[in-house]
Amino acid sequence: MKLLITGVSHKTAPVEVRECLAFRDEALPAALADLKRREGVAEALILSTCNRVEVTVTTEDGADPRAIVDSFLADHKAVSPHTIGPHLYRHEGRDAIHHLFRVAASLDSMVVGEPQILGQLKAAYAAAKNSGAVCGWLEGLLTRAFSVAKRVRSETGIGQMAVSVSYAAVELARKIFGSLANRTVMIAGAGKMSELAARHLRSSGASHVFVTNRTHERALEMAALFQGTPVEYTRFVAMLPEVDILIASSGAPHYILHKDEMQRVIAARRNKPMFLIDIAVPRNIEPSVNEIDNVFLYDIDDLQEVVNANLRERLKAAERAEELVAEEVERTMARLKVAEVTPTIIGLQEQLEQIRAGEIEKARRKYGPFTPEQEQAIEALTRGIVNKIAHGPISEIRNHAGHPDGAHVIAAIRKAFHLQD
Amino acid sequence: MAEMSVIWLRVAAGLYSLGLLHAILMLIRRREHLFRVALGAFALGSVFHFVSIVEEGIVNHRCPITNFYETLSMCAFLIVVLYLLVHWRYKVESLSVFIFPLVFVMALVATLGNPVSAWSSPVVRNAWLTVHIVLVLLGYAALLFAAVASVVYLFQERELKTRKPRKSYYRLPPLGTLDDLISKTMAVGFVLITLAVVAGSTWAFIELKTAWISQPKIAISFFTWGVYLALVCLRVAAGWRGRKAAIMTVVLVGFSALTWAAHARLGAMLLKP
Repeated sequence: MKLLITGVSHKTAPVEVRECLAFRDEALPAALADLKRREGVAEALILSTCNRVEVTVTTEDGADPRAIVDSFLADHKAVSPHTIGPHLYRHEGRDAIHHLFRVAASLDSMVVGEPQILGQLKAAYAAAKNSGAVCGWLEGLLTRAFSVAKRVRSETGIGQMAVSVSYAAVELARKIFGSLANRTVMIAGAGKMSELAARHLRSSGASHVFVTNRTHERALEMAALFQGTPVEYTRFVAMLPEVDILIASSGAPHYILHKDEMQRVIAARRNKPMFLIDIAVPRNIEPSVNEIDNVFLYDIDDLQEVVNANLRERLKAAERAEELVAEEVERTMARLKVAEVTPTIIGLQEQLEQIRAGEIEKARRKYGPFTPEQEQAIEALTRGIVNKIAHGPISEIRNHAGHPDGAHVIAAIRKAFHLQD
Repeated sequence: MAEMSVIWLRVAAGLYSLGLLHAILMLIRRREHLFRVALGAFALGSVFHFVSIVEEGIVNHRCPITNFYETLSMCAFLIVVLYLLVHWRYKVESLSVFIFPLVFVMALVATLGNPVSAWSSPVVRNAWLTVHIVLVLLGYAALLFAAVASVVYLFQERELKTRKPRKSYYRLPPLGTLDDLISKTMAVGFVLITLAVVAGSTWAFIELKTAWISQPKIAISFFTWGVYLALVCLRVAAGWRGRKAAIMTVVLVGFSALTWAAHARLGAMLLKP
């Protein structure tokens, strides 16, 4: 059995090349069926995302998987081999398993640790399964890749740190409040980023959104987006004691919230913590507000600093993840080696058992019938002899599994014991 | 104190104990189930308390403020009257968390001025002491838990305030979770320590007769309990939370350690040549 992964990714090919090779969802079943039909192909999988296109095949030992995939790509994609050749990567055998595990664990992604790739790989697997293109060995390998990805995520926490400013705001809110359930958010001003942050906070459990804007019509529009409540711009400070998270992004050229006002707000809240996100430039909130106990003020640079720190943490987690993936590849290879020699071991055991049973039957015909005690003694004696004979060759087979000269040793043992192929 | 005066004061303390129960429920469940009942009992208790003071004055033909127990009783009574007046005028229910347990303990201590007969059996004496020690240890465990959570809180708060996340930022739990944990463990610890103080002072009173109150270690215990009460009150009634409350919790553990050292006679052990 041979395994080959051929593909292009954001690391090897520009988008012009990737888009030429991409498979649309609706074209996948036909492409998979065609690939599976080709001579020598056992199983096939096509992963097509905006950042990578990969064709994975397993073939019989005698087939040439490179030639099969090349002809498949030539038939389906109108691109010359010269154009895509320099961008293509190919991984075979152990390398292919390593690559598959890295891709599933999001170590080969543009943003290391992003969660989408695992979902995309699962979707590709589902499409292949529905087309009957995976049904055995490759299916087992993919299932293993999903478990590896899960292990990497849970043991390294690679996906836990936010790498966008809006998600970093949500992550900080969680660090301050714990759960965001029943927390209220106020957006002061308009803007894409504040809208995005509010949307993330809302989907993370925040219960209500207040919106205020110097143009009240704009506040009404945004409030409708979040099923929130519009607040008069002149009343927004008075509303603050009811707000847990304030996102300020107004275009005002001066501070709209000062330290003394905030001191009164926090006293009215009986010191309940408040998270202030100031993403406006020039800033909307007086920086000294952060000196007040239980008030946490972050401006756009602070959020970016958090994102940078998160990225550094992700890279550290990725190092640990690479170790885990290498460990899992070793484990999978060991399993595959054992699986490779298992039919020989079973064949040997069956052969010896057949000889043992035949000889007992002969003896029974010649000297029998035996008493139950004699039967028991003969059974124990012959089984002991057979086990001792089998022990040597079975140990050798196991020891040579996966070794370069292993195939010769196993072939010799098969020949010596007349095991059929 | 006069016999009848102590009986009236005991009845008053019994009624004030409903106030303690209200404070405990409020701390643990954060709901004011028993406030009306406790307030009624408090008002009724004040009547018995007043009768006790008058009785004491009539029997001794003087104003009953000449010894520690009488003064304590009078002081507790004045707090009750003042609280009832303030509540009638401003409806400040949250203050009850502080006032009710304080008045109960003061009234209880004031009833312990007359020596009673010794223990009925050594088994009861030892069991009583064991209950006191177990309650104290459980209370200390809860308090220590609160203190550890407070230290973690202070670290995490500093991380969030400096806005430059380091390693601990990722590892430490959220502030909200820690604050909740501190509140809960403080409340449970306070209930246990209060019960331990009641059990311990009763034991000391029977054991040492009227000399119990002059023991320094008992004075330290009451002081620590008072600090604990003040802190709990600040959290619940005044809304103290966050960094200041966390620092106060750590300070309270310091006082508790002093109290423990006084009880374990650590000073004497250390001063031994």
